[in-house]
Amino acid sequence: TSRVLSKDKDKSAASKDSTPEGAAKSQKGGAETPKQQLLDIIGSMRVEVSYRKKLQQLKASDNKKQAMNKLEGPQSEGSVPQGVTDDTQRGKPLNPELVKAASAVASSLPHNKKQTESELLAQLRRHEETTDKQKKGETINLRNVISEMTVKRHSPAQRGARLSGRISLQLDEDGQRIRPERSSAHSMDSRRYFCCFSFFVYRSLKVGKRLNIFTKASTEPEHALKTVSSPTIWDLEFAKEVAAVTAQPPRNGFEEMIQWTKEGILWEFPIDNEVGMEDDAEFHEHIFLEKHLEGFPKEGPIRHFMELVICGLSKNPYLSVTQKVEHIEWFQKYFEEKKELLQEI
Amino acid sequence: MAAATLCWALRVARQVLPLPCPRQVRSYYVDWRMLRDVKRRKMAYEHADERLRINAIRKNSILPKELQELSDKEIAALPRDSCPVRIRNRCVMTSRPRGVKRRWRLSRIVFRHFADHAQMSGVQRAMW
Repeated sequence: TSRVLSKDKDKSAASKDSTPEGAAKSQKGGAETPKQQLLDIIGSMRVEVSYRKKLQQLKASDNKKQAMNKLEGPQSEGSVPQGVTDDTQRGKPLNPELVKAASAVASSLPHNKKQTESELLAQLRRHEETTDKQKKGETINLRNVISEMTVKRHSPAQRGARLSGRISLQLDEDGQRIRPERSSAHSMDSRRYFCCFSFFVYRSLKVGKRLNIFTKASTEPEHALKTVSSPTIWDLEFAKEVAAVTAQPPRNGFEEMIQWTKEGILWEFPIDNEVGMEDDAEFHEHIFLEKHLEGFPKEGPIRHFMELVICGLSKNPYLSVTQKVEHIEWFQKYFEEKKELLQEI
Repeated sequence: MAAATLCWALRVARQVLPLPCPRQVRSYYVDWRMLRDVKRRKMAYEHADERLRINAIRKNSILPKELQELSDKEIAALPRDSCPVRIRNRCVMTSRPRGVKRRWRLSRIVFRHFADHAQMSGVQRAMW
Protein backbone atom coordinates (compact mmCIF):
# COMPACT_ATOMS: atom_id res chain seq x y z
CA THR A 1 0.00 0.00 0.00
CA SER A 2 2.96 2.29 0.38
CA ARG A 3 3.26 2.48 -3.37
CA VAL A 4 -0.33 3.50 -3.66
CA LEU A 5 0.12 6.11 -1.02
CA SER A 6 3.16 7.60 -2.73
CA LYS A 7 1.24 7.69 -5.94
CA ASP A 8 -1.51 9.37 -4.08
CA LYS A 9 0.82 12.09 -3.00
CA ASP A 10 1.95 12.54 -6.58
CA LYS A 11 -1.51 12.52 -7.94
CA SER A 12 -3.11 14.50 -5.22
CA ALA A 13 -1.63 17.63 -6.60
CA ALA A 14 -3.12 16.82 -9.95
CA SER A 15 -6.33 15.44 -8.59
CA LYS A 16 -7.00 18.33 -6.30
CA ASP A 17 -8.52 19.90 -9.31
CA SER A 18 -11.13 17.24 -9.22
CA THR A 19 -13.20 18.26 -6.25
CA PRO A 20 -15.66 16.01 -4.48
CA GLU A 21 -17.10 15.42 -7.90
CA GLY A 22 -14.22 13.19 -8.71
CA ALA A 23 -16.55 10.74 -10.28
CA ALA A 24 -18.08 13.43 -12.38
CA LYS A 25 -14.69 14.28 -13.67
CA SER A 26 -13.90 10.68 -14.32
CA GLN A 27 -17.08 10.46 -16.26
CA LYS A 28 -16.00 13.33 -18.42
CA GLY A 29 -12.43 12.09 -18.90
CA GLY A 30 -13.35 8.66 -20.14
CA ALA A 31 -9.95 8.11 -21.62
CA GLU A 32 -8.39 7.95 -18.15
CA THR A 33 -7.26 4.55 -17.04
CA PRO A 34 -9.32 2.95 -14.28
CA LYS A 35 -6.30 3.20 -12.04
CA GLN A 36 -6.13 6.92 -12.48
CA GLN A 37 -9.80 7.13 -11.82
CA LEU A 38 -9.30 5.20 -8.62
CA LEU A 39 -6.53 7.48 -7.56
CA ASP A 40 -8.60 10.49 -8.44
CA ILE A 41 -11.33 9.22 -6.27
CA ILE A 42 -8.91 8.60 -3.46
CA GLY A 43 -7.58 12.05 -3.87
CA SER A 44 -11.06 13.47 -3.88
CA MET A 45 -11.82 11.57 -0.75
CA ARG A 46 -8.87 13.10 0.94
CA VAL A 47 -9.82 16.46 -0.37
CA GLU A 48 -13.22 16.07 1.29
CA VAL A 49 -11.51 15.56 4.62
CA SER A 50 -9.45 18.66 4.19
CA TYR A 51 -12.52 20.57 3.09
CA ARG A 52 -14.18 19.80 6.36
CA LYS A 53 -11.51 21.43 8.41
CA LYS A 54 -11.36 24.40 6.14
CA LEU A 55 -15.08 24.82 6.18
CA GLN A 56 -14.97 24.71 9.95
CA GLN A 57 -12.40 27.43 9.97
CA LEU A 58 -14.29 29.37 7.41
CA LYS A 59 -17.49 29.13 9.34
CA ALA A 60 -15.81 30.49 12.44
CA SER A 61 -14.18 33.26 10.51
CA ASP A 62 -17.31 34.02 8.55
CA ASN A 63 -19.40 34.43 11.62
CA LYS A 64 -16.91 36.96 12.81
CA LYS A 65 -16.57 38.76 9.55
CA GLN A 66 -20.22 38.68 8.65
CA ALA A 67 -21.16 41.85 10.47
CA MET A 68 -18.14 43.63 9.12
CA ASN A 69 -17.92 42.61 5.52
CA LYS A 70 -21.40 41.75 4.47
CA LEU A 71 -22.00 44.64 2.14
CA GLU A 72 -18.46 44.94 0.96
CA GLY A 73 -17.29 42.44 -1.56
CA PRO A 74 -14.73 40.02 -0.18
CA GLN A 75 -11.30 41.50 -0.64
CA SER A 76 -9.08 38.77 -1.95
CA GLU A 77 -11.72 36.82 -3.79
CA GLY A 78 -12.33 38.64 -7.00
CA SER A 79 -14.11 35.71 -8.42
CA VAL A 80 -17.09 35.96 -6.12
CA PRO A 81 -19.14 38.25 -8.34
CA GLN A 82 -18.41 35.83 -11.11
CA GLY A 83 -19.70 33.00 -8.97
CA VAL A 84 -22.71 35.01 -8.06
CA THR A 85 -23.45 35.72 -11.67
CA ASP A 86 -23.09 32.03 -12.41
CA ASP A 87 -25.66 31.23 -9.82
CA THR A 88 -28.04 33.84 -10.96
CA GLN A 89 -27.67 32.56 -14.47
CA ARG A 90 -28.68 29.12 -13.29
CA GLY A 91 -31.68 30.60 -11.63
CA LYS A 92 -31.22 29.31 -8.07
CA PRO A 93 -29.60 31.60 -5.55
CA LEU A 94 -27.18 29.93 -3.21
CA ASN A 95 -26.53 30.98 0.34
CA PRO A 96 -24.10 33.87 0.17
CA GLU A 97 -22.14 32.42 3.05
CA LEU A 98 -21.73 29.19 1.17
CA VAL A 99 -20.60 31.11 -1.83
CA LYS A 100 -18.06 32.96 0.21
CA ALA A 101 -16.84 29.74 1.74
CA ALA A 102 -16.55 28.10 -1.65
CA SER A 103 -14.59 30.95 -3.04
CA ALA A 104 -12.31 31.01 -0.02
CA VAL A 105 -11.63 27.31 -0.37
CA ALA A 106 -11.02 27.62 -4.04
CA SER A 107 -8.56 30.39 -3.44
CA SER A 108 -6.76 28.33 -0.85
CA LEU A 109 -6.22 25.48 -3.29
CA PRO A 110 -3.21 25.81 -5.55
CA HIS A 111 -4.60 25.00 -9.00
CA ASN A 112 -7.01 26.80 -11.25
CA LYS A 113 -9.09 28.74 -8.80
CA LYS A 114 -11.88 29.62 -11.15
CA GLN A 115 -12.46 26.11 -12.33
CA THR A 116 -12.44 24.72 -8.82
CA GLU A 117 -14.73 27.41 -7.68
CA SER A 118 -17.26 26.78 -10.39
CA GLU A 119 -17.17 23.08 -9.74
CA LEU A 120 -17.61 23.65 -6.02
CA LEU A 121 -20.55 25.85 -6.59
CA ALA A 122 -22.13 23.32 -8.89
CA GLN A 123 -21.70 20.71 -6.22
CA LEU A 124 -23.24 23.01 -3.65
CA ARG A 125 -26.17 23.64 -5.89
CA ARG A 126 -26.78 20.00 -6.32
CA HIS A 127 -26.64 19.50 -2.58
CA GLU A 128 -29.07 22.31 -2.07
CA GLU A 129 -31.47 20.72 -4.54
CA THR A 130 -31.41 17.42 -2.77
CA THR A 131 -31.87 18.99 0.62
CA ASP A 132 -34.77 21.06 -0.60
CA LYS A 133 -36.43 18.01 -2.05
CA GLN A 134 -36.03 16.24 1.20
CA LYS A 135 -37.21 19.20 3.20
CA LYS A 136 -40.38 19.47 1.22
CA GLY A 137 -41.33 15.89 1.47
CA GLU A 138 -39.81 13.89 4.23
CA THR A 139 -37.19 14.04 6.93
CA ILE A 140 -33.61 13.19 6.31
CA ASN A 141 -33.93 9.77 7.70
CA LEU A 142 -31.54 6.96 7.01
CA ARG A 143 -34.40 4.79 5.89
CA ASN A 144 -35.59 7.38 3.49
CA VAL A 145 -32.13 7.86 2.19
CA ILE A 146 -31.83 4.19 1.44
CA SER A 147 -35.25 4.09 -0.10
CA GLU A 148 -34.51 7.16 -2.13
CA MET A 149 -31.30 5.66 -3.29
CA THR A 150 -33.05 2.62 -4.56
CA VAL A 151 -35.80 4.57 -6.22
CA LYS A 152 -33.95 7.55 -7.61
CA ARG A 153 -31.60 7.51 -10.51
CA HIS A 154 -28.03 7.34 -9.32
CA SER A 155 -26.72 10.86 -9.48
CA PRO A 156 -23.04 11.15 -10.15
CA ALA A 157 -22.37 12.84 -6.82
CA GLN A 158 -23.91 9.95 -4.95
CA ARG A 159 -22.05 7.48 -7.07
CA GLY A 160 -18.82 9.20 -6.41
CA ALA A 161 -19.54 9.24 -2.71
CA ARG A 162 -20.44 5.58 -2.81
CA LEU A 163 -17.29 4.62 -4.63
CA SER A 164 -15.23 6.66 -2.24
CA GLY A 165 -17.10 5.01 0.55
CA ARG A 166 -16.16 1.58 -0.81
CA ILE A 167 -12.54 2.50 -1.09
CA SER A 168 -12.63 3.98 2.35
CA LEU A 169 -13.87 0.58 3.49
CA GLN A 170 -10.81 -1.12 2.19
CA LEU A 171 -8.41 1.49 3.41
CA ASP A 172 -9.89 2.15 6.77
CA GLU A 173 -9.85 -1.52 7.63
CA ASP A 174 -13.27 -1.30 8.96
CA GLY A 175 -14.95 -4.47 10.00
CA GLN A 176 -18.34 -3.55 8.70
CA ARG A 177 -19.16 -4.23 5.13
CA ILE A 178 -22.64 -2.92 4.93
CA ARG A 179 -22.17 -0.99 1.77
CA PRO A 180 -25.31 1.01 1.30
CA GLU A 181 -25.29 2.17 4.87
CA ARG A 182 -21.70 3.10 4.66
CA SER A 183 -22.06 5.05 1.49
CA SER A 184 -25.23 6.64 2.66
CA ALA A 185 -23.49 7.66 5.86
CA HIS A 186 -20.69 9.09 3.81
CA SER A 187 -22.96 10.95 1.50
CA MET A 188 -25.03 11.97 4.44
CA ASP A 189 -21.98 13.36 6.11
CA SER A 190 -20.87 15.34 3.11
CA ARG A 191 -24.37 16.52 2.42
CA ARG A 192 -25.00 17.34 5.99
CA TYR A 193 -21.81 19.20 6.18
CA PHE A 194 -22.56 21.42 3.25
CA CYS A 195 -26.00 21.99 4.60
CA CYS A 196 -24.89 22.78 8.07
CA PHE A 197 -25.40 26.41 7.25
CA SER A 198 -28.96 25.81 6.19
CA PHE A 199 -30.63 24.62 9.32
CA PHE A 200 -33.26 21.96 8.90
CA VAL A 201 -35.59 20.75 11.54
CA TYR A 202 -35.32 17.13 12.58
CA ARG A 203 -38.76 15.71 12.90
CA SER A 204 -39.92 12.67 14.74
CA LEU A 205 -39.18 9.13 13.67
CA LYS A 206 -42.68 8.24 12.64
CA VAL A 207 -42.99 10.93 10.04
CA GLY A 208 -42.17 9.70 6.61
CA LYS A 209 -43.35 7.15 4.12
CA ARG A 210 -43.48 3.56 5.25
CA LEU A 211 -41.00 1.16 3.82
CA ASN A 212 -43.07 -1.98 4.47
CA ILE A 213 -40.10 -4.07 5.35
CA PHE A 214 -41.71 -5.64 8.39
CA THR A 215 -45.26 -6.92 8.53
CA LYS A 216 -47.18 -6.03 11.54
CA ALA A 217 -47.24 -8.95 13.97
CA SER A 218 -50.75 -10.24 14.15
CA THR A 219 -51.79 -10.24 17.74
CA GLU A 220 -53.45 -13.60 17.99
CA PRO A 221 -55.59 -14.05 21.00
CA GLU A 222 -53.87 -16.60 23.15
CA HIS A 223 -55.72 -19.82 23.20
CA ALA A 224 -57.46 -20.11 26.45
CA LEU A 225 -55.66 -22.62 28.62
CA LYS A 226 -57.53 -25.81 28.62
CA THR A 227 -58.87 -26.21 32.08
CA VAL A 228 -57.10 -29.32 33.25
CA SER A 229 -58.03 -30.62 36.62
CA SER A 230 -55.40 -32.40 38.62
CA PRO A 231 -54.34 -35.47 36.64
CA THR A 232 -56.29 -38.51 37.64
CA ILE A 233 -54.75 -41.69 38.92
CA TRP A 234 -55.44 -43.36 35.62
CA ASP A 235 -53.55 -40.70 33.81
CA LEU A 236 -50.59 -41.15 36.09
CA GLU A 237 -50.65 -44.89 35.68
CA PHE A 238 -50.89 -44.54 31.95
CA ALA A 239 -47.96 -42.18 31.91
CA LYS A 240 -45.92 -44.59 34.02
CA GLU A 241 -46.69 -47.49 31.73
CA VAL A 242 -45.76 -45.53 28.68
CA ALA A 243 -42.50 -44.47 30.24
CA ALA A 244 -41.74 -48.05 31.27
CA VAL A 245 -42.35 -49.38 27.80
CA THR A 246 -40.43 -46.69 26.00
CA ALA A 247 -37.43 -46.99 28.27
CA GLN A 248 -35.26 -49.26 26.18
CA PRO A 249 -32.21 -50.87 27.72
CA PRO A 250 -29.07 -48.84 27.03
CA ARG A 251 -27.35 -49.80 23.85
CA ASN A 252 -23.89 -48.84 24.98
CA GLY A 253 -21.91 -47.58 27.92
CA PHE A 254 -22.66 -43.96 27.20
CA GLU A 255 -26.37 -44.45 27.39
CA GLU A 256 -25.94 -46.40 30.55
CA MET A 257 -23.99 -43.55 32.10
CA ILE A 258 -26.66 -41.11 30.95
CA GLN A 259 -29.28 -43.21 32.65
CA TRP A 260 -27.28 -43.36 35.82
CA THR A 261 -26.79 -39.61 35.84
CA LYS A 262 -30.53 -39.09 35.45
CA GLU A 263 -31.20 -41.44 38.34
CA GLY A 264 -28.63 -39.69 40.49
CA ILE A 265 -26.22 -42.57 40.85
CA LEU A 266 -23.53 -40.84 38.83
CA TRP A 267 -22.40 -37.32 39.49
CA GLU A 268 -22.46 -34.66 36.81
CA PHE A 269 -19.11 -33.80 35.31
CA PRO A 270 -17.23 -31.49 35.65
CA ILE A 271 -17.73 -32.06 39.33
CA ASP A 272 -19.28 -29.16 41.14
CA ASN A 273 -18.30 -29.21 44.77
CA GLU A 274 -21.30 -27.21 45.83
CA VAL A 275 -24.06 -29.38 44.43
CA GLY A 276 -27.03 -29.43 46.75
CA MET A 277 -25.42 -26.86 48.99
CA GLU A 278 -26.90 -23.47 48.27
CA ASP A 279 -25.67 -21.19 50.94
CA ASP A 280 -26.60 -17.71 49.88
CA ALA A 281 -25.35 -16.12 53.08
CA GLU A 282 -22.50 -13.66 53.00
CA PHE A 283 -19.27 -14.27 54.86
CA HIS A 284 -20.10 -11.78 57.58
CA GLU A 285 -23.15 -13.78 58.56
CA HIS A 286 -20.91 -16.75 59.18
CA ILE A 287 -18.27 -14.98 61.17
CA PHE A 288 -19.95 -12.24 63.15
CA LEU A 289 -22.33 -14.23 65.28
CA GLU A 290 -22.32 -11.99 68.34
CA LYS A 291 -25.74 -10.65 67.53
CA HIS A 292 -27.19 -14.05 68.39
CA LEU A 293 -25.77 -13.78 71.89
CA GLU A 294 -28.36 -11.31 73.06
CA GLY A 295 -30.35 -13.80 75.11
CA PHE A 296 -27.43 -14.62 77.36
CA PRO A 297 -26.26 -12.81 80.49
CA LYS A 298 -23.46 -10.41 79.73
CA GLU A 299 -21.11 -11.61 82.40
CA GLY A 300 -20.26 -14.86 83.95
CA PRO A 301 -19.09 -18.25 82.90
CA ILE A 302 -21.98 -18.83 80.54
CA ARG A 303 -21.06 -15.82 78.47
CA HIS A 304 -17.47 -16.96 78.41
CA PHE A 305 -18.54 -20.38 77.26
CA MET A 306 -20.81 -19.01 74.55
CA GLU A 307 -18.12 -16.77 73.21
CA LEU A 308 -15.91 -19.79 72.81
CA VAL A 309 -18.74 -21.58 71.05
CA ILE A 310 -19.15 -18.68 68.67
CA CYS A 311 -15.44 -18.55 67.99
CA GLY A 312 -15.54 -22.21 67.03
CA LEU A 313 -18.58 -21.79 64.83
CA SER A 314 -17.11 -18.88 62.96
CA LYS A 315 -14.21 -21.09 61.94
CA ASN A 316 -16.45 -23.89 60.77
CA PRO A 317 -16.88 -23.97 57.01
CA TYR A 318 -19.08 -27.04 56.91
CA LEU A 319 -22.18 -25.72 58.57
CA SER A 320 -24.66 -23.38 57.04
CA VAL A 321 -25.75 -20.20 58.77
CA THR A 322 -29.09 -21.70 59.77
CA GLN A 323 -27.36 -24.64 61.35
CA LYS A 324 -25.09 -22.36 63.35
CA VAL A 325 -28.01 -20.28 64.53
CA GLU A 326 -29.80 -23.47 65.56
CA HIS A 327 -26.76 -24.50 67.54
CA ILE A 328 -26.74 -21.27 69.50
CA GLU A 329 -30.47 -21.39 70.07
CA TRP A 330 -30.26 -24.89 71.44
CA PHE A 331 -27.78 -23.67 74.03
CA GLN A 332 -30.02 -20.79 74.88
CA LYS A 333 -32.95 -23.09 75.50
CA TYR A 334 -30.82 -25.43 77.54
CA PHE A 335 -29.53 -22.71 79.80
CA GLU A 336 -32.97 -21.26 80.27
CA GLU A 337 -34.25 -24.61 81.46
CA LYS A 338 -31.44 -24.84 83.96
CA LYS A 339 -31.89 -21.31 85.24
CA GLU A 340 -33.18 -22.26 88.68
CA LEU A 341 -30.31 -24.54 89.24
CA LEU A 342 -27.87 -21.92 88.07
CA GLN A 343 -29.29 -19.32 90.40
CA GLU A 344 -28.77 -21.57 93.33
CA ILE A 345 -25.11 -21.56 92.55
CA MET B 1 -62.13 -47.22 25.50
CA ALA B 2 -58.99 -46.28 23.67
CA ALA B 3 -57.09 -46.10 26.95
CA ALA B 4 -58.20 -49.58 27.91
CA THR B 5 -57.06 -51.08 24.65
CA LEU B 6 -53.76 -49.27 24.98
CA CYS B 7 -53.26 -50.64 28.49
CA TRP B 8 -53.99 -54.15 27.31
CA ALA B 9 -51.57 -53.67 24.49
CA LEU B 10 -48.92 -52.46 26.92
CA ARG B 11 -49.43 -55.47 29.17
CA VAL B 12 -49.09 -57.81 26.25
CA ALA B 13 -45.97 -56.02 25.18
CA ARG B 14 -44.54 -56.40 28.68
CA GLN B 15 -45.06 -60.14 28.60
CA VAL B 16 -43.57 -60.51 25.19
CA LEU B 17 -40.60 -58.22 25.80
CA PRO B 18 -39.51 -58.61 29.38
CA LEU B 19 -38.52 -55.38 31.02
CA PRO B 20 -34.81 -54.80 31.15
CA CYS B 21 -33.61 -56.10 34.45
CA PRO B 22 -31.97 -53.29 36.38
CA ARG B 23 -28.88 -53.81 38.47
CA GLN B 24 -28.97 -55.97 41.54
CA VAL B 25 -31.11 -54.50 44.25
CA ARG B 26 -30.45 -55.62 47.80
CA SER B 27 -33.82 -56.05 49.42
CA TYR B 28 -32.63 -58.01 52.49
CA TYR B 29 -29.81 -57.53 54.92
CA VAL B 30 -27.38 -60.38 55.23
CA ASP B 31 -28.22 -61.15 58.86
CA TRP B 32 -29.87 -59.65 61.92
CA ARG B 33 -26.65 -58.31 63.26
CA MET B 34 -26.28 -56.26 60.15
CA LEU B 35 -29.82 -54.99 60.62
CA ARG B 36 -29.12 -53.92 64.19
CA ASP B 37 -26.01 -52.19 63.05
CA VAL B 38 -28.09 -50.30 60.51
CA LYS B 39 -30.54 -49.24 63.21
CA ARG B 40 -27.72 -48.05 65.43
CA ARG B 41 -26.30 -45.97 62.64
CA LYS B 42 -29.63 -44.30 62.01
CA MET B 43 -30.11 -43.44 65.65
CA ALA B 44 -26.63 -42.13 66.01
CA TYR B 45 -27.27 -39.85 63.08
CA GLU B 46 -30.45 -38.51 64.67
CA HIS B 47 -28.92 -37.77 68.04
CA ALA B 48 -25.52 -36.66 66.85
CA ASP B 49 -26.13 -32.93 67.32
CA GLU B 50 -27.54 -33.27 70.79
CA ARG B 51 -24.73 -35.49 71.91
CA LEU B 52 -22.19 -33.05 70.54
CA ARG B 53 -23.69 -30.11 72.45
CA ILE B 54 -24.12 -31.91 75.71
CA ASN B 55 -20.60 -33.18 75.49
CA ALA B 56 -19.43 -29.64 74.86
CA ILE B 57 -20.96 -28.66 78.21
CA ARG B 58 -19.51 -31.68 79.95
CA LYS B 59 -15.93 -31.41 78.77
CA ASN B 60 -15.62 -27.87 80.01
CA SER B 61 -13.55 -26.16 82.64
CA ILE B 62 -15.45 -22.87 82.58
CA LEU B 63 -18.98 -23.87 83.48
CA PRO B 64 -19.80 -24.88 87.04
CA LYS B 65 -19.42 -28.48 88.00
CA GLU B 66 -23.02 -28.90 88.98
CA LEU B 67 -24.06 -28.11 85.48
CA GLN B 68 -21.63 -30.60 84.12
CA GLU B 69 -22.93 -33.32 86.40
CA LEU B 70 -26.42 -32.54 85.27
CA SER B 71 -25.47 -32.85 81.65
CA ASP B 72 -23.75 -36.17 82.47
CA LYS B 73 -27.03 -37.49 83.66
CA GLU B 74 -28.78 -36.17 80.60
CA ILE B 75 -26.51 -37.80 78.13
CA ALA B 76 -26.81 -41.10 79.96
CA ALA B 77 -30.55 -40.81 79.64
CA LEU B 78 -30.37 -40.83 75.87
CA PRO B 79 -31.12 -44.15 74.15
CA ARG B 80 -28.23 -46.48 74.16
CA ASP B 81 -28.15 -47.03 70.45
CA SER B 82 -27.65 -43.37 69.78
CA CYS B 83 -24.01 -43.37 70.67
CA PRO B 84 -21.63 -43.81 67.73
CA VAL B 85 -19.35 -46.08 69.70
CA ARG B 86 -21.73 -48.97 69.25
CA ILE B 87 -21.42 -48.89 65.46
CA ARG B 88 -19.32 -51.65 64.01
CA ASN B 89 -17.94 -51.40 60.50
CA ARG B 90 -19.10 -54.68 59.15
CA CYS B 91 -18.49 -56.13 55.75
CA VAL B 92 -21.19 -55.02 53.37
CA MET B 93 -21.51 -58.31 51.53
CA THR B 94 -21.09 -60.90 54.29
CA SER B 95 -21.56 -58.87 57.51
CA ARG B 96 -18.22 -60.10 58.82
CA PRO B 97 -17.23 -57.90 61.78
CA ARG B 98 -13.51 -58.49 61.51
CA GLY B 99 -10.98 -58.16 58.72
CA VAL B 100 -12.88 -55.36 57.02
CA LYS B 101 -10.98 -52.85 54.90
CA ARG B 102 -12.46 -49.44 55.43
CA ARG B 103 -11.94 -48.12 51.93
CA TRP B 104 -13.99 -50.84 50.30
CA ARG B 105 -16.22 -51.76 53.22
CA LEU B 106 -15.51 -55.40 52.37
CA SER B 107 -14.05 -58.23 54.36
CA ARG B 108 -10.74 -59.61 53.26
CA ILE B 109 -12.22 -62.73 51.73
CA VAL B 110 -14.78 -60.93 49.58
CA PHE B 111 -12.18 -58.42 48.57
CA ARG B 112 -9.86 -61.14 47.39
CA HIS B 113 -12.68 -62.80 45.53
CA PHE B 114 -13.61 -59.72 43.59
CA ALA B 115 -10.07 -58.63 42.94
CA ASP B 116 -9.19 -62.01 41.45
CA HIS B 117 -12.18 -61.83 39.15
CA ALA B 118 -11.04 -58.34 38.05
CA GLN B 119 -14.13 -56.68 39.43
CA MET B 120 -12.27 -54.18 41.57
CA SER B 121 -11.20 -51.17 39.65
CA GLY B 122 -7.55 -50.32 39.99
CA VAL B 123 -6.69 -53.32 42.16
CA GLN B 124 -3.95 -55.60 41.03
CA ARG B 125 -1.99 -58.48 42.50
CA ALA B 126 1.09 -57.12 44.11
CA MET B 127 4.39 -58.33 42.75
CA TRP B 128 7.73 -56.79 43.53
